[in-house]
Amino acid sequence: MRLLTFTAVLTVTTIAAGSALAGPVLDEIKANDSLICLVNPNSPGFSVPDSQGVFQGFNTDFCRMAAAAILGDADKADIRGIGFSDSMKTLVARGAHMASRSITATGTRDADVGMAFVATTFYDGQGFMVPASLGVSSATELEGATVCAEDGSTTLLNIADWFGDRGMSYRVENIADKTARLEAFFTGKCDVYASDVSALNSDRLLAEDPAAFMILPEVISAEPLTLVTQPDQELEAAIFWAFQVMLNADKFGITSENIDDVRADLDAQPQSVQRLFAEDGATAEMAAKLGLPQDWAYQVIGQVGSYSEVFERHLGSDTPFNIVLAETQNAPADQGGLMYAFPIR
Amino acid sequence: MTSVSAWAKDLFATPLAAFLTLASGAFMAWLGWHVLSWFVLQAVWPWQPAGACDVQSGLCWPFLVEKTRLILFGTYPFDLQWRASLASLLLLTLAVLTGFQMIGRARLPVLVFVAIWMAGLTLAVLLLGGGALGLSSVPSVFWNGLPILIFLAIAAIAGAFPVGVLLALARDQQTYPILRRFATIYIEVARGVPMLTVIFVGVFVLPLMLPTGTFIAPVPAVLVALIFFHGAYFAEDLRGGLQSLSVGQREAASSLGLGYWQTTGLVRLPQAITRSLPSLVNSIIGAYKDTSLVVVVGIHDMISTARMSFNDPDWRTQALEAYVFVGLWFFLSCAFLSAIGRRLQMERETDQL
Repeated sequence: MRLLTFTAVLTVTTIAAGSALAGPVLDEIKANDSLICLVNPNSPGFSVPDSQGVFQGFNTDFCRMAAAAILGDADKADIRGIGFSDSMKTLVARGAHMASRSITATGTRDADVGMAFVATTFYDGQGFMVPASLGVSSATELEGATVCAEDGSTTLLNIADWFGDRGMSYRVENIADKTARLEAFFTGKCDVYASDVSALNSDRLLAEDPAAFMILPEVISAEPLTLVTQPDQELEAAIFWAFQVMLNADKFGITSENIDDVRADLDAQPQSVQRLFAEDGATAEMAAKLGLPQDWAYQVIGQVGSYSEVFERHLGSDTPFNIVLAETQNAPADQGGLMYAFPIR
Repeated sequence: MTSVSAWAKDLFATPLAAFLTLASGAFMAWLGWHVLSWFVLQAVWPWQPAGACDVQSGLCWPFLVEKTRLILFGTYPFDLQWRASLASLLLLTLAVLTGFQMIGRARLPVLVFVAIWMAGLTLAVLLLGGGALGLSSVPSVFWNGLPILIFLAIAAIAGAFPVGVLLALARDQQTYPILRRFATIYIEVARGVPMLTVIFVGVFVLPLMLPTGTFIAPVPAVLVALIFFHGAYFAEDLRGGLQSLSVGQREAASSLGLGYWQTTGLVRLPQAITRSLPSLVNSIIGAYKDTSLVVVVGIHDMISTARMSFNDPDWRTQALEAYVFVGLWFFLSCAFLSAIGRRLQMERETDQL
């Protein structure tokens, strides 16, 4: 792989002497002037086509982030909805450049050839929803419960771990179709509905009376949902740092709304902000080394927004999901969350 | 009048009959009331605000107004959807033309007919995929909804029919035992294995055995599987027809000096097709509906785009509307196919008199 990168770099230098050096995948994206990004075709809030057939959602915006950073135009993301295992295969077969589709980063997956985990955009975990009338306040009180869950998913394995470790008995009601599964839960066919917490929040709202159902506090598994790319050091760096720019922007309250004002009066800003957006700042230096547009950090914030802005837009209080960022693990590190903005200098 | 009162008498002839009549009558009334309520009484009409859908429990027209295009074309690029519409229209025209040709309303020479089919399919693929004649390229992952459904169904049926004819002939003849045995094994394997399993294996398992990085594109893979299976189903339908012909037909043809292909093409096959029409039409409708199975390998046919439509965070309670829309489409198109089948049979029966 090293050798391959090296030869590619050599080729690039001979063809386009003077232009910045980049990895083969990053070069391909620039040559095509389009970045192919795979998303889940049917994931409310994360990626689902709007009425015009254009994908919208939290995950979709990270495709746009990558395109804004690398090509200077978020609309140059070629976003394609493909099922889970197909997207892995497409990526390994080099049929796409990246995937932003709620993939849990795990050791064995990362060890696979042909895909690289780059940046965790959402910390999720599996939880339980119960009817308030069940009178249960903790998942440790679910002895003998009937659980509605999706067959063949890691959900079932996590449930087996949780109940097995505590010596509690349980029964699983396998229902493949989600609409049917939720209906079974709402009509009392099972006591507990298990899924990722992010999904539980939105699923609860589908009940006729959402207040009659509650989500238990326990999160029984770790699901760091992470961006995946084709292996290419420069591409991985570009996407990782574009994400860090979004986290750093939050630290200084910069959004797509006020970025132009910030840039207009950059000298009045803290040094860290100047390094992000100045023409001779750290990001400009990175641009030269990675072969990105000189103002890539500005393009990311201007066209996509900061992390909390993206979260709020698709999952926040104005959406049916109504997830409060500060109450999740996705809050900034200084507010008790896991989103830690790396220094850009 | 007497027949009506006789009919009413039958309904209440015995206590059991009276009970069954009342029970099924009550059930029909209950069902009818719910259908009426959902479609009319509780419906939110297109001119009403979408917000009313949260209050009223009936059919939400604003949802269909908003999402029909998504259900029909999915993620096909919005400003290029005229191409997807044109391709669908072209394919539907081909299907209707074939129907008319079969019931004798259109009488095109066979070669012209085959040429029209070839040209139609090529043009449809060109319209959908682009990449030539100045049409921008649209990868097959964006061919969603109606166009991909019709394309797969029509291409599969058109490809499977010749396969079925050849298989039926191979299994029916005595001259080449190897050929017959091959056809028998092929047909038995295809009938004995669920199609879904093969599609799964082809798209998900096969690549694991091939070198890393090999990727089988779902659309052509599924098309091959559909042709493979439906070829076998059609072959069995046709074999039934061939077997029902009396030996005299073949002997008469031979005595006129006709060779094997002439005997087959002019005498036996036309009669065999006529006789197996009911089961052929049945298989064709089955093949058309089976096409929806492709949703499991990630091709977004209308079932999948319907899911997309009610997974929009703003419209998440409208699953029933989306499924009713798709169900209605399937009902109407299958009704068209059966109508052609019935008509065809009537014509052939009068021919034979």
